Amino acid sequence: MLNLLAKNLFLFDPLSLFFLAVIFIVSLPSLVYSFGYLKGEYSFAKIILAQILLFAFVLSMALVVSVSNCLIFLIFWEIMSLISYFLVVFDTKNARSIQAGLIYIVMTHIGTAFIIAAFMILYNHTHSFDFLAIKNACKILPSGTKDIIFLLFLIGFGTKAGIVPLHIWLPYAHPQAPSHISSIMSGVMIKTAIYGLIRFVISILGVNSSWWGVLIMILAVISCLVGIIYALMEHDIKRLLAYSSVENIGIILLGVGLAMFFISLNLPYLAVFSLIAGLYHLINHAIFKGLLFLCAGSVYKATGTRHIEKLGGLIKKMPQTAVYFLFGAMAISALPPLNGFVSEWLTLQAFFLGAFNVAGGSKIFLGICAAMLALTGGLAAACFVKVFGLTFLAKPRSHYAESAKEVALSMRIGMLILVVLIVIFGLAAALIIKLLAKVAGSVLGIDIGAMSFSLNNLTLSPQIAKSVYLSIPALALWLIVFGIISFVIYRIFGKAKSVISKTWDCGYYKFDSRNEYTATAFSKPFRIAFSFFLLPYRKTQKIRESFYHIKSFTYETHTTKVIKKYIYDPVLTLVFKTAKFMRRMQPGSIHLYLGYVFVTLLLLIIFMRQF
Amino acid sequence: MIILQIILFILAAPLLSGLITKLKNNLRMRKGQSVFQPYYNLAKLFLKDEVISETASWIFRITPCVVLSSTLVAAILIPVFIFSSSVHQMGDFFALVFILALARFFLALSALDTGSSFGGMGASREMFISSLVEPALCMVILSVGLQFGSTDISVFSGAHAITVSSVVAAAALFLIILAETSRIPVDNQETHLELTMVHEAMVLEYSGRSLALIEMASYIKQMIFFFLIAQLVFPIGKPIGTFCQIIFWVLWYLMRLGIIAIIVALVEVTMAKMRLFRVADFLGFAFVLGIVATVCAILGV
Amino acid sequence: MQGIILFVLLVSTYLMVIAKRTSALIRSFRYQSLCLFVITFSIALTQREPELYIVAGLLFILKVLLIPYLLYRIIRRIKVSEDLGLFINPQLSLLWALAFTYLSWIFASYIVSANNTILTGTLAIAFFVVSAGMFLMVFRMTALSQIIGLLVMENGLFLLASTVSGGMPFFVEIAIFFDVFVSVLIMGFFVYRINKLFTHIDVNKLSRLKG
Repeated sequence: MLNLLAKNLFLFDPLSLFFLAVIFIVSLPSLVYSFGYLKGEYSFAKIILAQILLFAFVLSMALVVSVSNCLIFLIFWEIMSLISYFLVVFDTKNARSIQAGLIYIVMTHIGTAFIIAAFMILYNHTHSFDFLAIKNACKILPSGTKDIIFLLFLIGFGTKAGIVPLHIWLPYAHPQAPSHISSIMSGVMIKTAIYGLIRFVISILGVNSSWWGVLIMILAVISCLVGIIYALMEHDIKRLLAYSSVENIGIILLGVGLAMFFISLNLPYLAVFSLIAGLYHLINHAIFKGLLFLCAGSVYKATGTRHIEKLGGLIKKMPQTAVYFLFGAMAISALPPLNGFVSEWLTLQAFFLGAFNVAGGSKIFLGICAAMLALTGGLAAACFVKVFGLTFLAKPRSHYAESAKEVALSMRIGMLILVVLIVIFGLAAALIIKLLAKVAGSVLGIDIGAMSFSLNNLTLSPQIAKSVYLSIPALALWLIVFGIISFVIYRIFGKAKSVISKTWDCGYYKFDSRNEYTATAFSKPFRIAFSFFLLPYRKTQKIRESFYHIKSFTYETHTTKVIKKYIYDPVLTLVFKTAKFMRRMQPGSIHLYLGYVFVTLLLLIIFMRQF
Repeated sequence: MIILQIILFILAAPLLSGLITKLKNNLRMRKGQSVFQPYYNLAKLFLKDEVISETASWIFRITPCVVLSSTLVAAILIPVFIFSSSVHQMGDFFALVFILALARFFLALSALDTGSSFGGMGASREMFISSLVEPALCMVILSVGLQFGSTDISVFSGAHAITVSSVVAAAALFLIILAETSRIPVDNQETHLELTMVHEAMVLEYSGRSLALIEMASYIKQMIFFFLIAQLVFPIGKPIGTFCQIIFWVLWYLMRLGIIAIIVALVEVTMAKMRLFRVADFLGFAFVLGIVATVCAILGV
Repeated sequence: MQGIILFVLLVSTYLMVIAKRTSALIRSFRYQSLCLFVITFSIALTQREPELYIVAGLLFILKVLLIPYLLYRIIRRIKVSEDLGLFINPQLSLLWALAFTYLSWIFASYIVSANNTILTGTLAIAFFVVSAGMFLMVFRMTALSQIIGLLVMENGLFLLASTVSGGMPFFVEIAIFFDVFVSVLIMGFFVYRINKLFTHIDVNKLSRLKG
């Protein structure tokens, strides 16, 4: 009986295999990294505990994406959340870690509650927990029930993935966890929520209404913009990366939502294409966000601070980490010829191909979504210019940065593996698109034999007549060729030489790190441009000795956390008020409590005939 | 043919910039510098020594090569002579935008590298403006693509009818060009005051040969955009017929760039530079124009 | 015959409800358990199953002999006053008991048709015994009364099960007996500890479990 159970328990179809690949691609470098990272930080016993938890975490995630039974899925989902909670609060002496862990565990359980509700409704209609059985039974579900189940799944998995406005735990939890855990959480764990959405909504539930895809796309666009705008305002590297994860989840969901939209409009090949774009961005984001978190961890370990405004000049002190971070920043800003460019290009092309093939009003909608995606791409590039430029370049801004040293070998090897993967996933794009086409085809149940992807062009027949072209290796080749040509031009023309001297400082006699641009100043144009959303405010305090002499002047500038202030705080206040009111029911007398129990029993017995 | 295209770009791009500067000066009732002045500037820069800041790292040194090479790669994506070839199967409109973004990324990083306030300021403003350009550019690409069926650049390289949609898209693209090539009303190329410079602030620390490479890259970028607008508004097909007709074709081919240069010069001279935070409204207007162009393209106008 | 035993059971339950001293409570509990034993034994005789004999025997040993002995021992060790703190005075308690008997008769007659008076009466008395247990737990102050209330509730449930449905499964009954026995031991220990810590066993004064 046990092996019968095992046969029906795991499901290794292409989607699960793809997600398993994502999990292991990101977890292995983090594992290598963790050896160097944890070494000086904690006692030996605690390091062993950390590694055990890491193994358990990765194992639970791998099991989440490969089981085919709702109950077992929930069990491993819960285990994954709990283990990640323990990893978030690993630094137990830090009060902020505890607070972050609390917010995280509450939010993830709210999400799990919604998922359980959806499963219960499914079970009610289909009387089975097995995925295949539910899939067959869902073909005849009434559409209203399907809508409710979809909304429950969306909220449940959206909480874990970090869709605005359910993203509130991400900026708290990801900075506080140890860096290799942050990279796994941000790179892989939130993707399991996307797995849930794809598996349950697209594959099992079956998309029939077009408003599902539209809703997901609207939420995704909002997540993109909100995520990147808040990321621009942050000065803690890891919080910034956490907000950037929110943005990238939005981009992934744009691809997924677009796929759902096309399925409902009966455009199967376009749906496959959009899903390819979404999945490609998923694995790309896992790789480069994992890399960026590992680099941030290296910076933290070398300098002791995560605050950008205290860093600077690290490129001279930590040259290898700087190169890896540069690759990660280039990848996330979607610059050719790396992998981020390919997935953003694919998503934009999916929008455009859709715009060619749908009716009038939807064309404008898809176009505006594509424009917003382009906007977030530009803002992301700005954000990472800020991070890389202010952290690594110019002069050190404080003694933290001055005393930095390159990090241990295992950490560098971990980061190097991910850099190599970034380059591979960029250059071998055609190959990976072929593999992803198989995955997407199996999810959507569409035969992809009619689609052909050659090395250069992506011909979607029979959908459109003209093809578009993109060849990353050719681009990389030409870039290198022209780079060499420009270098040659640089060298051979003129007999001039280079002189090293000080930076032009307008004639000041003292040029130090206070001259440099700060992170707050770098993001000020964005703060002003988006001030309708960020609602910045400032607090100043002047201490005067006399009317003419100001002894000290403190200036603080803050942005209002709109979502927290207008959505979560009122809800929390209401919950606490209600709890306080209910306290009156518990005065402490045992007899009263017993009385409650018995009265309830009696009432149940008397009125039990109703049931 | 590709080599020819590259050499044409490298040789002709400074001429375009010189033309615009000459026009501006003439409009200001001055004699102005000669049309070939940019060439003399570049030659002078190649002969000069270079001063590199001691706070700068290797990023500062490789940026000129990266910028020039990515701009050249963008240049070969434009169908100038040949209207579609295997080289154009390398990338489409979006690839063009992202390759230029690569150049901008490194330029901004090198600006921050020197540790001076000018560089940081220039980088900040440049990234701000460029991120706002993106949605407008995306809408323009959409409208063009809807008209022609694909986002491939060689798609509108033949002769085609001028529609309302392409005119409006060209107008939006014109506004974008003003932003991307650092022209008034977005940025002033002739100033070095910190209140008013964006692109110049980023390259303030460069001198000598590196500066020559970067200047060359900005000229080529300008030429790329001018070609795009010219093809959109004054479409031209393959040259046919007798030798005289080919001569006329070549002249008309070059004159369209001249017309756009004249318009740019007029705009630069008659308008004042906008405050940085009003650039957002300016580019928002370009975005709206792009939407209008898309609607026109949908309606088939 | 069955009716008389049931009547004696009812009377012993009334005695428990109006008891003012702890030893009176335990004594009435003993009588109640004795009546229960007689009923069970008579059912065992009619049914002639060995399991029922064992159950009846266990009932006698545990509930008539052992548990009241344990409870008396606890009282002697603690040396608190015999006063069983009452929230409701005995007369009002008796009124409550009578009202509840009537209510449980009505309820029982809903469930079982009223012509089978013995069965209805047994059911009614069983419900009443359970609710008397609840009453003791809620309206008496000391910790001992809560232990005894629990035991009385268990008695009532046993009566309900064995007369209406022929008894619960054998192992369940054994388990319940064991459970009850152990819980009395544990609660006795706890009462001793409460007394040692607070020098009283008035549960009403232990009120820190607030919201």
